[in-house]
Amino acid sequence: MKHFTNLGKAVAAGALAVAMSTAAMAADGLNFPNLTYRTGPFAGTGTPIMNGQRDYMLMLNERDGGIGGVPIDYIECETGYNTNKGVECYEKTKGEALVTQPWSTGITLQVMPRTNVDRIPILAPGYGFSPMSDGDTFAWAFNPPVSYWDGAYMILDYIASGDMSSLKGKKIVLLHLDHPFGKEPIPLLEKLAEMHDFKLVPIPVGLKEMQNQSAQWLQIRRERPDNVVMWGWGAMNAGAITEAVKTRYPMENFIGIWWSGSDADLQNVGAKAKGYKSVSFNAPGNFPVLEDIRKHVVSKGNSEIKSEADMDTIFYQRGIIISMILAEAAKTAQDNFGEKNINAEQLRWGLENLDITAARLEELGMKGMTPPLKMACDNHTGHSGAWMLEWNGEEFVQASDLLTPNRELIKPLELEKAADYAKNNAPWPGRGDLACN
Amino acid sequence: MFYRTSGQFKTTYESDQALFPIKQDMVLLVVILAAMYVVFPMFASEFTYKALLVPVLIYSLASLGLNILTGYAGQLSLGTAGFMGVGAYACYKITTIFPEMNIIVALFLSGFFSAAVGVAFGLPSLRIKGFYLAIATLASQFFLVWLFEKWAWLYNYNASGAIEVRTMDIFGLVVTGPNASPMVQYYFVLGIVSVVTFAMINLTRGRYGRTWKAVRDMDIAAELVGINLMRAKLSAFAVSSYIVGIAGALMVFFWKGAAEPNLFDIPMSFQIVFIAIIGGLGSVMGNFLGAILIVALPVVLNLLPEMLGLSIGSATMEHVNVMVVGSLIIMFLIVEPHGLARFWALIREKLIIWPFPH
Repeated sequence: MKHFTNLGKAVAAGALAVAMSTAAMAADGLNFPNLTYRTGPFAGTGTPIMNGQRDYMLMLNERDGGIGGVPIDYIECETGYNTNKGVECYEKTKGEALVTQPWSTGITLQVMPRTNVDRIPILAPGYGFSPMSDGDTFAWAFNPPVSYWDGAYMILDYIASGDMSSLKGKKIVLLHLDHPFGKEPIPLLEKLAEMHDFKLVPIPVGLKEMQNQSAQWLQIRRERPDNVVMWGWGAMNAGAITEAVKTRYPMENFIGIWWSGSDADLQNVGAKAKGYKSVSFNAPGNFPVLEDIRKHVVSKGNSEIKSEADMDTIFYQRGIIISMILAEAAKTAQDNFGEKNINAEQLRWGLENLDITAARLEELGMKGMTPPLKMACDNHTGHSGAWMLEWNGEEFVQASDLLTPNRELIKPLELEKAADYAKNNAPWPGRGDLACN
Repeated sequence: MFYRTSGQFKTTYESDQALFPIKQDMVLLVVILAAMYVVFPMFASEFTYKALLVPVLIYSLASLGLNILTGYAGQLSLGTAGFMGVGAYACYKITTIFPEMNIIVALFLSGFFSAAVGVAFGLPSLRIKGFYLAIATLASQFFLVWLFEKWAWLYNYNASGAIEVRTMDIFGLVVTGPNASPMVQYYFVLGIVSVVTFAMINLTRGRYGRTWKAVRDMDIAAELVGINLMRAKLSAFAVSSYIVGIAGALMVFFWKGAAEPNLFDIPMSFQIVFIAIIGGLGSVMGNFLGAILIVALPVVLNLLPEMLGLSIGSATMEHVNVMVVGSLIIMFLIVEPHGLARFWALIREKLIIWPFPH
């Protein structure tokens, strides 16, 4: 019988060890976990962003000793874009976390209801889903600085050169990933198509056919659209751009969302993709903040980038912007509450009351890198606008003035879908006891 | 010495045909059940429930379902994840159409939908065998995921295209949704897995189990001795898909809380096939051992560096993890090609004669 009691003890000890290890992760400082995906099928797009995010946080630690003198405890938990791993990472990090950055629509959907109960703000910059802007429904969720619906509007606004009525009679193809992310802009585009009398042709690309889109491009050739708008991700972008080059689609009429604008996707085709455009909430350039990162992180060998040239890519710099938004929110909370070691609820307040002015951007060394951003209780996105970038054959260059979404048009749709979400997830807590000020 | 079976005489047919004719097996089972029902909940953190215990149970159940079909009835299937999806979407539709329905009833009802779909896709098994059948079930996999994406009625025309679980309770106890305590969810899943496992142990020992095994070993011989092949194969598809469907519904309702269509895509089918193969085809216990190896081990490995005080980048750890688990799988398959259940059976045989082997 001794055998069995030993077995029982070993099992109990194992369970105990696992239980304790999660509690033992407590560390000082501002705990900012990031659910990264540096592995798996989407690693190519994930890695540069995560490098940017990480390097900005490390730079703050080196240069300023963190935020307001409190060091940042920046933790990465690898998900490989896998939703199972996402749950695991969320549960693992949430004990001490001030924020959660889920980095995938699937993980966001799983985690979002839990964040209301665990009282942790969820930060999904440039992704998540558009109705998250409605802060009265999604009190704990934030998707600054622009949502996908904003993106869709801005792209059409650019195509129409600011006059939507000029779209009348045109034909626009939406080449999208056949996945919740890719279908996101359809409701808004359909509404716009009806309002302005243009023809919208959605062409889905299945997750399994991302790299082989000959059927889709054959259809595009047959449709002869005036413009192709792309909602792509990961390997789909490079696939679409290569195929567009092959079928000689006029590149200047081909516009992608911000996740379809990675330098790596275009470098393969280089000059042949000249004229391709992507809407982006960060503009490329050599900003003072990059100098600081080079000095404090990269030159010391603490960065994970392969070469310094990676710092010039759009996605790396976008990672910096994302970390900056989080850091500024923490600072806003610190200033308001007069406490250095803020908690998750205070950080939520900081995100909700975030106001990154043009002057503040200049202080941060990011003037012109991203538009000024102001959030509010009923505006968890900020909707600060974006620029159109154009591939000149070697790199992306800014190709437009700041585009801004038409909020009067988009907001009712957001409120409607937010109400739907709350109904599907009943009883949804909404804002609850969180004061709005 | 500890596993001595001598002296345990069976004097009635009943005791000879008991589920666990050897006393030590019974004791071991009681210890495991006590650990699952009493010891784990005493120590487990929320993380342990959500990342280890509940996933292992749900994957074990799915693998048990597949094992009925592949391990017992010998019909190769690569469509497990699709059938799990049918269970999950059926449960979602049932609970939204009849909001007052008890979730347990909804859960067991949703199994019937996946069973029906399973039987429909099992029809080709009457004509084709082996790899050809695997391809036919693979077709169901592609078709079902496509259906989950395209048929908006299934997800109630949700803007996100995913199914989301609202809060539900059983007699006042919240069991689903974000407010449910992980311990309650764990007990719920554990209860269902226990019941289904008990039923399956008995089913596979009984008439159906023997019919399936006969078909697996040689279907022409089985037909000659008077087994109705159509009934045997389709019943295996039905029972298997029923269990797999329940596992799918449990996965979405009691673990994840939301699911996109591509959750039920091929990688999960393969994962469950791996669990069944590594655990041991034609075994009930093997599913649990396999799930521990495939589902729980990577999670525990991820925690190791922190427990040892090492700082390894999370991404590096993930790469190491894939390599370690991969080589373990190969090692286990080389050491014991019949799976972990067979491995345990060998250990048990050795224990019975230990310390005096012939």
